[in-house]
Amino acid sequence: MPPKRARKPATTTDADAPKVRADALAPTVGLAGEIYRQLADGEIPRMRLPLRTKQNLSFQMREGVWKLGRSMGTRSARKLDGALMLLRTFYLVDFINEMARDAKTSTLRELYYISEGWDEGKFHSEDESNLLIEDLEVLCDRLREDFRLHPEENGASVIGDLTIKERNRKGVVKTINCRDDVGDGGYALPFNVEKEKIEFAGTNAKFVIAIECGGMVDRLAENGFDEQHDAILLHLKGQPARSTRRFLRRLSEELSLPVVVFTDGDPWSFRIFASVAYGAIKTAHLSSYLATPNAEFLGVTASDIENYELPSDKLSEQDVHALEAELTDPRFGTADWRSEIQLMLKNGKKAEQQSLAKYGLNYVTDHYLPEKLTEMGVL
Amino acid sequence: MDYERSSSPLAAVPPPTIAQQLAAKQREISIAEFFERNRQILGFDNPARSLLTTVKEAVDNSIDGAEEAGILPDVSVAISKESEERYKVVVADNGPGILRREIPNVFARLLYGSRFHANRQARGQQGIGISAAVLYANLTTARPARVTSKVEEEDAAHVLELVLDTQKNQPRVVSEDVALWDRPHGTSIELVLKARYQRGRQSPLEYLRGTAIVNPHAQIVLTEPDGTKVTFPRASAELPPLARETAPHPYGLELGELGYLLKSSKRPSLGEFLTKELQGVSPRAAKEVLERAGLPASTKPPSVLGPDQERLLESLRAVPLVAPRSEGLSPIGAMLIKRGLRNVLGELRPEFFAPPVSRPPKVRGGFPFMVEVGLVYGGGLPADQPIQLLRFANRVPLLFQQGACAITAAVGSMDWRRYGLDQKGGSGLPIGPMLLLVHVASTKIPFTSEAKEAIAEDPEIDREITLALQAAARHLRAHLSRKSRRDFASEKFAIIQKILPKLAEKTSALVGKPVPDLTPVVTKIMDVVNVETLLEPRASDVGGAVEVTNYTPRARVLELFLEVEPELAKLATFSPAPDGTEPELGRAWWTLPRLAPNARTRLTVTFPKRTEVEANDFDWYIAGVDEGRLLGADPLPGDWDVRLPRAVVEAAEAAAEEGAVPVADEGTEVDYDAAEASPQARDDD
Repeated sequence: MPPKRARKPATTTDADAPKVRADALAPTVGLAGEIYRQLADGEIPRMRLPLRTKQNLSFQMREGVWKLGRSMGTRSARKLDGALMLLRTFYLVDFINEMARDAKTSTLRELYYISEGWDEGKFHSEDESNLLIEDLEVLCDRLREDFRLHPEENGASVIGDLTIKERNRKGVVKTINCRDDVGDGGYALPFNVEKEKIEFAGTNAKFVIAIECGGMVDRLAENGFDEQHDAILLHLKGQPARSTRRFLRRLSEELSLPVVVFTDGDPWSFRIFASVAYGAIKTAHLSSYLATPNAEFLGVTASDIENYELPSDKLSEQDVHALEAELTDPRFGTADWRSEIQLMLKNGKKAEQQSLAKYGLNYVTDHYLPEKLTEMGVL
Repeated sequence: MDYERSSSPLAAVPPPTIAQQLAAKQREISIAEFFERNRQILGFDNPARSLLTTVKEAVDNSIDGAEEAGILPDVSVAISKESEERYKVVVADNGPGILRREIPNVFARLLYGSRFHANRQARGQQGIGISAAVLYANLTTARPARVTSKVEEEDAAHVLELVLDTQKNQPRVVSEDVALWDRPHGTSIELVLKARYQRGRQSPLEYLRGTAIVNPHAQIVLTEPDGTKVTFPRASAELPPLARETAPHPYGLELGELGYLLKSSKRPSLGEFLTKELQGVSPRAAKEVLERAGLPASTKPPSVLGPDQERLLESLRAVPLVAPRSEGLSPIGAMLIKRGLRNVLGELRPEFFAPPVSRPPKVRGGFPFMVEVGLVYGGGLPADQPIQLLRFANRVPLLFQQGACAITAAVGSMDWRRYGLDQKGGSGLPIGPMLLLVHVASTKIPFTSEAKEAIAEDPEIDREITLALQAAARHLRAHLSRKSRRDFASEKFAIIQKILPKLAEKTSALVGKPVPDLTPVVTKIMDVVNVETLLEPRASDVGGAVEVTNYTPRARVLELFLEVEPELAKLATFSPAPDGTEPELGRAWWTLPRLAPNARTRLTVTFPKRTEVEANDFDWYIAGVDEGRLLGADPLPGDWDVRLPRAVVEAAEAAAEEGAVPVADEGTEVDYDAAEASPQARDDD
């Protein structure tokens, strides 16, 4: 059981639900057809899927992102786990087609509870259902939104001089400036950030700064950093949701804005950057849609911890393990990243972005960021 | 070994010169002093152990007494606390009772008993035990023992209060009474002694538990000081066959013992003495012995003295004799070991009771002995601790000196890892959810000390224990391998019975077509022939069926073979009847009708009502399919001397016809879900 959360209203019926491609569900029936054929021919049912593992990431030179490689795995009914996943796949396909007939959508969490009625096919964790949906995306070459499944809104926020046009729940197009028309919380991203929902209507910003922690976003906003340096502040909220990554990609692609990523200085933050810039392992099939290859890592770097004499913590055992794992991750295979990771391992130290407050509340906006951005050629 | 010889304090005679000086100091050592000096070997060296020894001696006497009289023993033990370190123990039984005139000697005189000279297996032997407990009680609390005993011929019970006169080793009756007792016969002894009550490995409770396991014909009830009542109910209404008293065999005879036998013999001639009062001496051998010893056959036995006795014994040992017989032994027996273990361990729900092993009797130094082993595995037994080892000598649990015992040594010197248990470095007690029962029965057990707590190491006994353990361990290994195959199979059954039909239903509905026949897929996934025995007690009999299912993609003619204990085989009725049997080996076989893929055939089997039989007792063998494709049965072993089964021939022909069947190269494919589950795959978010 996942932890309890405030319940959302059940599936919404709404004419303005995410637009679904007319042929969106055809491939799901195709999958059923293939399994049916195998059963009828007396073959043990199986599916082949590209492995979504670290070892099976390959760099796409043309797009500048890491995508799934050619290694395939087999999900076969010969084994209990495989048989269960196959059965679940078709419970899921059935449910998706049912929603399409009834013009409904469902959150991922609702799907998890829907599976209570699937007997053996019931999911044991939300993780399991998310992975299966991703499998289906890969198999059908569709997005989960095509399957009428969406995450709960997670409210990643934007602050800065960016004007957008959002078609709201009632179908009314609202024009919103993310600096002048919003409160202190900024503009909250919906889960659907595609063009049919959000269009960019203009900006005077010169770059985007994506920030890991909410406290740092607030600090920059309070210090007027966005206005002073013509920046758009984007709150990543830890490991960013798909909509956040997609939004960032659109900012970079459609508005040709440079993107810098400002996180804590620890192994987990390196992974946040990797999933933003290079593509995440679990969603590597969507890298050309979600990743922002132009994004650059601003800090906090291992050398920042030394150069700025930041208050630091000792690397824990898990931290060291994570760094070592990163050394075998192809996305961190560049000389720069390798030396960064090795330096952190050597110093044995990590630091939070807010440790910059050691030198006062204005230090980050008056000194650290201008220095780093200048160094990176953004300012 | 013998009590008198090893511990007589006056045996050594001082050299003459000093003798004079020492003569003044010479005096008889009192029984009390002797006891004080030998507390340890008698089992009274601390209060906790004294309590256990007292319970043990009284209970052993009770069970021995009842058994000798052909009575199913009912023993109750009540322990209550009188004050700090002072407890009252009452042990009552339903034995034959003791005649009034014998009571004082039985309970309050050391070295008095009926079994010392009997050449058969018994729990107590030397007549020290219960009197030592009485003496200990007298010494520590100054309270007499209170004995109540009633024999069937008398109407009332005698109630005697006894103390042991430590100067004379004589009983003294402190008070005497008669009383009505609400039982036809029986004996009860009440002692108040310095003691400490504890639970755990070396406690009265554990002793009684062990006693109950090897004496399933006895009912034992313990009332603990806090009022807790533990009952070990009777699990068998059969008395074990009483060990027959056998004449001593010359190979185990000592000179003094021979002298005693000669002196008390009423035989008219030495020739008759040799053939009738000793074991294994044929008339021809007797003649040879007498010739060698130079003694006339007509000599009266009591007149053979001194050097003649020595020559006689030497000759007896020089002449080949018939080996000692084993009638003097009283093994527990396979059936009762199983019943006893089930009775006492049932609540732990062990998953496996190995068929108990009873080795044939062997002889060691003129005395027969035999080894029995019971093995229980799984269920509530702790998996991460050393196994529980229950040691028994002549049906008496051994609770102390585990490390010094030949049984422990034999268990520890085996490499149990080969049989599926953990064992550090391949020696010592293995780790695992297992309980081992090892019973050594003999008319003379070589204990390490008078306290009879551990069996001394001896190459012949060690060899027998090891052979018995290996036999039991092989059953364990077979069980564990069957279990792992069953786990594997239950996964497959889940796939074909639960998942596959739903998968077919879902995909068929999605494409709008009828559900296809799943037989080919089912047989490809399973690819086994499954033998399943279902057996349960019913109103009029014990019965059920044996189902053989061909979960392979090919039609097969199979030959089914059964092996079961011959006694059980005799009781079984099969339908259809077997095509052949070998009753003395408990074997039967059938040629089954041709089975199409996914087809099943069944045999019914019935036993008379209340037969103790379960599915585990059947060993099934199948010919006509290779080993890797068998579930619930094994391939027919080569040592079954039956004609080459038709099934084997057919299978070989069919395989030749088909030629090499291409096997899907799934072996080289990566299991998607396994790869996804690997920790490295989850490095990301």
